[in-house]
Amino acid sequence: MADFVQFLGLAFVLGVPVVLAAMGGLTSERSGVMNIGLEGKMLFGACVTAMVATSTQNAWLGLVGGIGAAILASLLHGVLTQVYRMDHVISGMSINILAWGGTSYLYSPHFTDRAFGSTIPVVPREVFYLLAVAIPAVIWVYLKRTRGGIRLMAVGNDPEKSRQMGIDPIRVRFMALVATGVFCGLAGAMIVSNTGRFSEGMTSGRGFIALAALIIGGWRPVPTMIACFAFMLFQALQIQFQGQAIFGVMLPNELWLSMPYLVTLLALAGLISKNSVPAGLGKA
Amino acid sequence: MIFLILGCFALVVVLLQIIGVAPGEAVQAMVRGSLGTARGWSGTLREMTPLLFAGLAVYVGLRAGLFNIGAEGQFVVGACASAVVAIHVPGVLGWILSGIAGLIAGALWAFPAGWIKAYRGGHEVVSTIMLNFMALQLTSYLVLGPIRDPSKDDATTPDVLSPMRPLLETQFDGSSFRLHAAWLIGILLILGFGWWLKKTVQGYELNATGANPKAAQMAGVPVPKVTLLAMCASGAFAGLGGAFHVLAYEQRFYNDFSPGYGYNALGVALLAGGSPWALIPAALIFGILGQSASSLQIMEVPKGMTSILLGLLIIGFAVFRYRNREVNRG
Repeated sequence: MADFVQFLGLAFVLGVPVVLAAMGGLTSERSGVMNIGLEGKMLFGACVTAMVATSTQNAWLGLVGGIGAAILASLLHGVLTQVYRMDHVISGMSINILAWGGTSYLYSPHFTDRAFGSTIPVVPREVFYLLAVAIPAVIWVYLKRTRGGIRLMAVGNDPEKSRQMGIDPIRVRFMALVATGVFCGLAGAMIVSNTGRFSEGMTSGRGFIALAALIIGGWRPVPTMIACFAFMLFQALQIQFQGQAIFGVMLPNELWLSMPYLVTLLALAGLISKNSVPAGLGKA
Repeated sequence: MIFLILGCFALVVVLLQIIGVAPGEAVQAMVRGSLGTARGWSGTLREMTPLLFAGLAVYVGLRAGLFNIGAEGQFVVGACASAVVAIHVPGVLGWILSGIAGLIAGALWAFPAGWIKAYRGGHEVVSTIMLNFMALQLTSYLVLGPIRDPSKDDATTPDVLSPMRPLLETQFDGSSFRLHAAWLIGILLILGFGWWLKKTVQGYELNATGANPKAAQMAGVPVPKVTLLAMCASGAFAGLGGAFHVLAYEQRFYNDFSPGYGYNALGVALLAGGSPWALIPAALIFGILGQSASSLQIMEVPKGMTSILLGLLIIGFAVFRYRNREVNRG
């Protein structure tokens, strides 16, 4: 029993950064901006959090810096897709590539010993635990009950009609992308809090798992949060039972780690739930 | 738009200046390392080869209106399958069989994405991303377990029985120049595909599907079928690229086989734009970038700099092309 509780706790801790990133994806995609660059924004957030926290020796300034960096990356996505009308997929991909290169550049010996000391003051993890549960609930209320939330959904469903109704889609989308930056920055900072340091590519694909959870959750905040934690159950299984038989069967670790992707693929094929993608996703 | 391009340039210059490298010297070192010597040229052509295949793969998808982000996974799966065959079957038969294995593995890995897009309406970008991660997990499981060579320290398969020797090997100013048949096959494949696209009915249907699926459907093109076949063909090309990378260059399969050829291929195809022939110079540019990464590292330029260049290059070109068609600012 104690083992089981520990196992659930592990899944929760693993799920927190994924939930935060998925909420970032949710605000962006609900407003119609397709966002496969969550991974890159998290990575930028994590890197700058570590840098600022080390150089100022203040965890909270680090958090602010990380969020700021993720907002900038998110706004770049906004400028490219909304102002320059670039394809959303290409823009998201190039932000991922830039994040990988940019953080690797910052992590090089030219900056390392100055900015990435061995002890980084970090924001306590409990803050993020609380946020990971609170933010989906707040977004849910916001989308259902407020004028701003309904406008956001309207822009995501049909930008053209909402423009005719007197809403400025570009403005709404930029606000949504700022929120995306905030949530992805939080996700990156949480990963730094978890490990106490920055390392290259430390987000290790969690931005894409967040994207997958968003699809499973049907772009709804609370189901998406549940999907994130459910996905992390697989990873927790893999960590807890490494090399042991689970339920009497010996399965390779890689199979457990592939589960989120497999489930998402099945969901995309319409075998799990009906496809409920925002109608205006990726459209001008 | 000019501002964006200038901004990209300025950013690169500033990033180089910060770490104390003169941009002019960096460019010189890159050109010297990749095009200055016979050895450099060999390396550039080597880096270029997988990009020819994977670039063509992404290009085929784009023609049919598909974004195949999954070239990376298809490349890796193809490489793994072809290595499994080539470590058991020697000679020319081994090459043919392992080429076919790579082709089929790549096509199979693309099939779910094509099927989901064509018949279930799920976005191919998300499904190919998922398939990429599954490909990495699957091949890592195989190479850490069933197909691992137990006599080696790191996770790798045994060497292939008969690797492809270079087609041409000569000495130039004390450094050796190697040209592999794989490179030539990649070029021929692109030329052949360009011809096919222009001159055949199927090629026309592929183009029509990508240009406007609704109109194509009205005109009698079986859009779902073309979509599915295009995705599988795309995967097959990427898988074949993986097979040649094993047979000609690496001679084995190992964990973390691809340093991101599939993702760079995306850049290659975007750079090429509308014309299939343009894939060749585009692959050369990315080959030069890949090969010169090591000369930049000698100058103590962080290795992330190459990725930054790639990202900015893609942004710069995509802003001109691949703009959202539904421009409608009322």
